[in-house]
Amino acid sequence: MARITPTPGQKILYFLLVSLGIGILYIDINTNSFQEIKHGYKSLKISSVYILKNISIEPVRRVLNLTKSKKTLLEENTNLKKALDASYLNNYLISRENSFYKDDNILKYPLLDDDFKANYSLAKLKDLDPNIFKCCDKHRMYIELFSNSKEQSNLESVVFNKSGIIGQITNDGNYLEVILLTDVSHSIPIKSISDTFFCNAKGSGRANIIICSYNPLIWDEEILLTKTFYTSGLGGIFPRNIKIGNVSNILDISPNLREIEIALSANPLDDEIFGVFKN
Amino acid sequence: MKDMVKKTIFLMVMSYVEINIAATLSNFFIIFPITFLGYSFYVYRTNSNANPIEAFLFGLLVDLIHGSYFGLNATLFCLITYLINSYSNAFKIFSYLQVCLFFGLSATAYVGFTQLVLNIYNFSYITLLVSSFFNIIFCILVAIFTSYFPKISRLKI
Repeated sequence: MARITPTPGQKILYFLLVSLGIGILYIDINTNSFQEIKHGYKSLKISSVYILKNISIEPVRRVLNLTKSKKTLLEENTNLKKALDASYLNNYLISRENSFYKDDNILKYPLLDDDFKANYSLAKLKDLDPNIFKCCDKHRMYIELFSNSKEQSNLESVVFNKSGIIGQITNDGNYLEVILLTDVSHSIPIKSISDTFFCNAKGSGRANIIICSYNPLIWDEEILLTKTFYTSGLGGIFPRNIKIGNVSNILDISPNLREIEIALSANPLDDEIFGVFKN
Repeated sequence: MKDMVKKTIFLMVMSYVEINIAATLSNFFIIFPITFLGYSFYVYRTNSNANPIEAFLFGLLVDLIHGSYFGLNATLFCLITYLINSYSNAFKIFSYLQVCLFFGLSATAYVGFTQLVLNIYNFSYITLLVSSFFNIIFCILVAIFTSYFPKISRLKI
C-alpha cells in the first residue's frame, strides 16, 4: 500500500514542531532553564540503579557474605580503602611541590567525626560522562560528600584528586556539581615558576587541555614546551603555587597573540575519590 | 499504547548502546548515531506515516537520556521523519545503494548538527568525514545482511 506524503496540515505541524524545537534549544543553550529536569533525571537514574542493586544484587551478596563469614572483613576492607584514599590525598597535599599549607602539622585528617576540625572533605564520584568529557565543550562532574553535613556551603570550593586540582564546585544541590578546568566556560589564573608570567587559562573543551592566550609583546618570558605552570592564587579561589601542568603545544596566532596549550597533571577519570577544600 | 512502550524501550536500549560504544569509537574519530539511525529505519519501515508529535517527543526523550541540550534531537528527529515521509514512495524506485547513501548522509548531517551545537569550539572535519564513511558502510552492511539473511532480520530495505 502506498504511503501518503505529508498533507499541508501535517507540513504546518512539522514546521511548528521544528520551530518549537529550535526555540527550546535556543532557550536551553542561553539560559540553562532545563537543568533541574536534567539533574532530576540523573538523580532518578542513580537512585534507580542504587535501589535495583540493593534489591537484586545486595541480598545475594549479603547471603554469600554471611555464609562465608566475611562481612566484618569486608567492612574493614572498605574502611581501609577509604583511609588509603584519604592518605593519598593527604600525601598530595603535603608533598614538596605543593603548598596548600605552610605547616604540615595543621593538616587534619578528613575522616574525623567532627567535620569542622578537618581541613577538607572526602567525596566520591557520582556521575561523570566520559563521552561528554572526551567529545564536548561542557565538562561537568557530580560528586557526593562522605559526610552529609549541610551546615556549610561548598560553593566555589576547590576539588582535587591525588594528582592535582581538577575543578571547583558550581552547584550545591543533592550532589555537588563540579566544573572541570577543561570546561570552555572555566578559567583559572596561572603563572610560571619565575613569577614573571601570569595569565588566565581557559578550558579548551578537550580532555586534560587548558589554553592560555597572551600577547608576547607584553609578556616577554620565553615559554618552552614542557615548561611547568602553577596556580597564581589571584582571584582567591585556588591556592597559590599548586602545579597545574606542562606546556604541550605553542601556537603563534598572530604577532600579538600566542596560545599555549597546557596538559593538566590531574585527570578526573583516574580516581573515584576526591578532596573538597572548605572555604 | 503497547506499541509506544515498545518504541520507547527500543530507543532507550539504542541510546544505552550508543552511550557505551561512543567512548571507544571516539578514539577512531567516529561518531555513530545508532539511536538516530534506528529511529530512521523504524520510520522508513513502518507502513503508515509516523506522527510528527511522536517524533518530537521521542527526540526530547533522547535529549534527556544523552544529556544534550533539549530540542536538539527533537528538531532533528522531526526533520528526518518529515524527509522520510515525503520520499516514502520515491524510495521504492531507489536502489539499495541510494537508500544506504540517503541514511548514511542523514546520519552525517545529524553528526554535523550535533557537533555544531555541542562541540563548536573543537569542531572536527576529520570526525565528520570518518563518521560519514563509517555510517554509509554500516548502512550498506545492514542492507547486505538483510538481503542475504531475510528470515533472520525480517527488515525490508
